[in-house]
Amino acid sequence: MSRFVIMITMALGLALSAAGSAQAADDAKQVFDFYCAQCHGEKGDGKGINVTKSFSTDPRNFTVTADMEKRSDDDIRTVIKDGGPAISKSPLMPPWGATLSDAEVDGLLAHIRKLCKCTAK
Amino acid sequence: MKLLAVTVSLGAALLVTMTAPSYAGGGDAIFKKNCASCHYTDGPAKEKTIADQLAKKGPELFYAGSKFQKGWLAAWLQDPKPIRPMKYNSLTEKNAGDHPKSSAGDAAALTDYLMGLTSAKVAAGKIKAKSTPQARNIFAKKMPCSGCHQTESKGDVSGGLSGPSLVGAGKRLNPDWVYAYLTDVKSFKPVRDMPDFSKAMSPKDMEGLAAYIATFE
Ligand code: HEC
Ligand code: HEC
Repeated sequence: MSRFVIMITMALGLALSAAGSAQAADDAKQVFDFYCAQCHGEKGDGKGINVTKSFSTDPRNFTVTADMEKRSDDDIRTVIKDGGPAISKSPLMPPWGATLSDAEVDGLLAHIRKLCKCTAK
Repeated sequence: MKLLAVTVSLGAALLVTMTAPSYAGGGDAIFKKNCASCHYTDGPAKEKTIADQLAKKGPELFYAGSKFQKGWLAAWLQDPKPIRPMKYNSLTEKNAGDHPKSSAGDAAALTDYLMGLTSAKVAAGKIKAKSTPQARNIFAKKMPCSGCHQTESKGDVSGGLSGPSLVGAGKRLNPDWVYAYLTDVKSFKPVRDMPDFSKAMSPKDMEGLAAYIATFE
């Protein structure tokens, strides 16, 4: 009996946490599409609608694994919060630190890691 | 006694008939009928989440009287050319330029109504149009403004498409509002895809930017 209860509880807990992380991924995708896709594109390929011929630096293409695995998680968090110049990149990448919560920034980091199918090397 | 009651009610009836026609033709009534389905005018700002912002069919207008210049507003309502290059809340569809048009009479009444919707967060008469090298450098190089906003230089329009075009902003926007918006963006637009720059720039820099934007033709 008590075994049964434990098993049920564990199954429920697992299902709940899976639902929780699916929810977090959905939220991160919404945050990405709203703030980042204007320049990086919804697919993260760097082809957002702001990238016209006067856009002097190509926004990062997050789908290029070789480029993205060179970036540490801290670099990615820093450039999102403090803007391009914080990691010696273009000022066209804005500072979002006063707009996004730390949880939203972490969600974006996870979303970007999904787009590049990579982790920091 | 009876006479008094009759006189009072007659007087009230007269008052109603006298004010009713001007009320029916008044900007607020026209607004309720033709505009309120897409714009809200009762502040403060209501949006809390991205979904709240995406559900809006048009920009909030509860501070329209502080944001716009009267002459621009009256003319635009009769001939509403696109302000945002893209459709409102879309990053894929172009702005079709299909904003409802108002007659000259309606536009005048609507303008009077909208110009009365002011915000206490906007200090009047502070910012004067002025282009300085510092502000030009911030707008074009130090900060990403041009990445999201179009401007015109010698007949050439360039810049990003996600933000409202700033071509002609000197005639459209009140520079005092631009300053208030840059320093206190959350009071006007709590959820928007423009960054809050309050930690990245000083109020002095923002004053310079607001004065510079006021020179945009
Ligand atoms: C179907 C929805 C809809 C209706 C109805 C509508 N508007 Fe709009 N309005 C919009 C959208 C969308 C924009 C943004 C247009 C653009 O950027 O070019 C806009 C922009 C505006 C602006 C400029 C706001 C800004 O912050 O840029 C004003 C002023 C305005 N509308 C007034 C009115 C008035 C007055 C009416 C009624 C006669 C009206 N609108 C009816 C959708 C609507
Ligand atoms: C990432 C894109 C982005 C960047 C970078 C950006 N903006 Fe914006 N800006 C927007 C968007 C989007 C709006 C409209 C927000 C809304 O109405 O929901 C806006 C609105 C504005 C407005 C009000 C225009 C109007 O008609 O309503 C001004 C003024 C402005 N921005 C100035 C600036 C300045 C100055 C900078 C640089 C310091 C800047 N912006 C950087 C996207 C951006």
